[in-house]
Amino acid sequence: MRRIMMSVVDGKGFDLILVGAALIFLFLFSGLPLLYNILMSFQEVDMFSLGKFFRPFVGLDNYRALLSQPAFWPIMWNTIVFVTCSIGGQFLVGFSLALFFNLNFVGSTFIRGLFLVSWVMPGLVVGAIWNWILAGDFGVLNYFLENLGIIDEKIFWRSDINYSLWAVIITNIWLGTAFNMILLSVGLAGIPEDVYEAAELDGANAIQRLWTITLPMMRSTIGAVVSLGLIFTLQQFDLFAAITSGGPANSSNVAQYWAWELSFRQYDFAKGAAISTLMIFFVMFAAIVYVRSTKHEVRG
Amino acid sequence: MTSPLQIELKAVNKYYGNFHALKNIDLAVPSGTFVALVGPSGCGKSTLLRSLAGLEETSGGKMEIAGVDVTDMPPRKRDVAMVFQSYALYPHMTVAQNLTYSLRIQKVAKAELRAAAEKVAASIGLTELLDRYPRELSGGQRQRVAMGRAIIRNPKVFLFDEPLSNLDASLRVQMRKEIRALHDRLGATTVYVTHDQIEAMTMADHVVVLRAGVIEQQASPMTLYERPTSKFVAGFIGSPAMNFIEGKICDNGTSVMLEMAGAPKLDIVQKVTPNMPVTVGIRPEHIRVAPSEECDFSLPVTLIETTGTMSYVSLGTAPELSLMLTDRTVFSVGDNIGLVVDKARIHLFDPKTEQAIT
Repeated sequence: MRRIMMSVVDGKGFDLILVGAALIFLFLFSGLPLLYNILMSFQEVDMFSLGKFFRPFVGLDNYRALLSQPAFWPIMWNTIVFVTCSIGGQFLVGFSLALFFNLNFVGSTFIRGLFLVSWVMPGLVVGAIWNWILAGDFGVLNYFLENLGIIDEKIFWRSDINYSLWAVIITNIWLGTAFNMILLSVGLAGIPEDVYEAAELDGANAIQRLWTITLPMMRSTIGAVVSLGLIFTLQQFDLFAAITSGGPANSSNVAQYWAWELSFRQYDFAKGAAISTLMIFFVMFAAIVYVRSTKHEVRG
Repeated sequence: MTSPLQIELKAVNKYYGNFHALKNIDLAVPSGTFVALVGPSGCGKSTLLRSLAGLEETSGGKMEIAGVDVTDMPPRKRDVAMVFQSYALYPHMTVAQNLTYSLRIQKVAKAELRAAAEKVAASIGLTELLDRYPRELSGGQRQRVAMGRAIIRNPKVFLFDEPLSNLDASLRVQMRKEIRALHDRLGATTVYVTHDQIEAMTMADHVVVLRAGVIEQQASPMTLYERPTSKFVAGFIGSPAMNFIEGKICDNGTSVMLEMAGAPKLDIVQKVTPNMPVTVGIRPEHIRVAPSEECDFSLPVTLIETTGTMSYVSLGTAPELSLMLTDRTVFSVGDNIGLVVDKARIHLFDPKTEQAIT
């Protein structure tokens, strides 16, 4: 005890204590549940063995059972579509807005701040609002599209199997755009004005400047935004619960929602755990990209 | 100065809201000339340079580069190259990529790029550094890359915006020579902004002194030094700065009486109305120490600063008078020394208009 106290006083080993505290915290609240989840995916779990730690080991049976379900591949495909389109949409809209606000017109900082409102709202609230917007009979989205002449008849976004996934994607793009915009704005602000001026004098037009200066200099920011987006999108659960509940007929179901459905609706904890374990690999991949992109910061 | 005009500005004006940053600037720069824009901070010299580059929009007037009206032309079409104070190198590109950026924008074939970069790099001593990134270079090397990026384009005009202000003193002296040598070798037309009058005097063929958005005087460096048209220019050009003493022309109109202890009189060469109050300007290097029987006046020494090559001596009067001596001082602080002024080099200014009286 005295040695520990001494280490705090003279600073020696104090850094180890700080790192240790963080690691213990992470292990207890993130590491253990993760490991328990992986373990559970290899066990036979039912309502009676739920409280036990040692349960019959079944190897890859849970995974095989999942793969043999007809819904498996459609749901995996939905997950890929949901993730790619959400991130793509959030990034494109967010980046356009960031470039727009980077013009620094009067009030731009204030309005940019207002955009964060969408980011701070809980997913369930956002879902509820968008349910109104997306409503087939009286929703403003249909009204808008009809009046622009883009559609002839009303789309029932939430109940049409061709559109249900897109209803969630559109909402998720709205939800995540502000976050993308803020991070990308910070990246843009980090590029000195005179570098643009030099490029302009070197003969580059606006599009050439975007490709040769802005995007390459934002590489680390973009890497961070996209990988964080991947993580957030794979975690997105609230919107599915609020808008489509994965339906109709699994047309808008994705891995993370399915995992919850299996575990807490059908009480098939083993299969739910198996899906979660599969998703860990995707998230790990995103996390590695994120860590790498923040490591390679390039600033003059 | 019979060569054609490379830059011509006519009545260029610039407003920032209500602030009148450039007032009716007229400037004609013959091809191959090195022009320095000099003045205190906020005088508009950088604004003028950036307007010429097209980075600032002017509010009125006309600008021509090589006979082409560029007033409303975007920067990328003006064919001017600029070296920024911060160098503004592209941090994500190697030195070679920085040098060839403009060529790549023009879609020059890849095979030619490396050759062009190597040629320019060799001419300014960057050959070893072609594959480095700007963050791996020293200040002087970055400065060279910025210059190389301008040279490779062979532009109509070179613009320099205080390029040496981030370098240490000895490097600054060296780069001063290199930039001038480069200008001569390329036969370029150069506009160079600086707040350092020594840079302007040593490098330029033609110096433009700006003050509060107005051209105070433009002339060759020696003309500015010998015949400043205003008290401002007289005080700005030359180091240490010119001494100004209030005085009054005597009844005879051929000498001036200084308002200081003993009310000494100095003969003058200018023709001035008798009894007129004047500001007398005397450069520190035009006063010398003399035995008391020959001197114009004598003053007590309050401070001696010696650099080895020069001694700067401050003399106790109000305002303080300074003089510059190249020979070793034989007096010390507190001594009264006799002084002689070089009469042919006395400058007279009207105290109200601050214009020179000739």
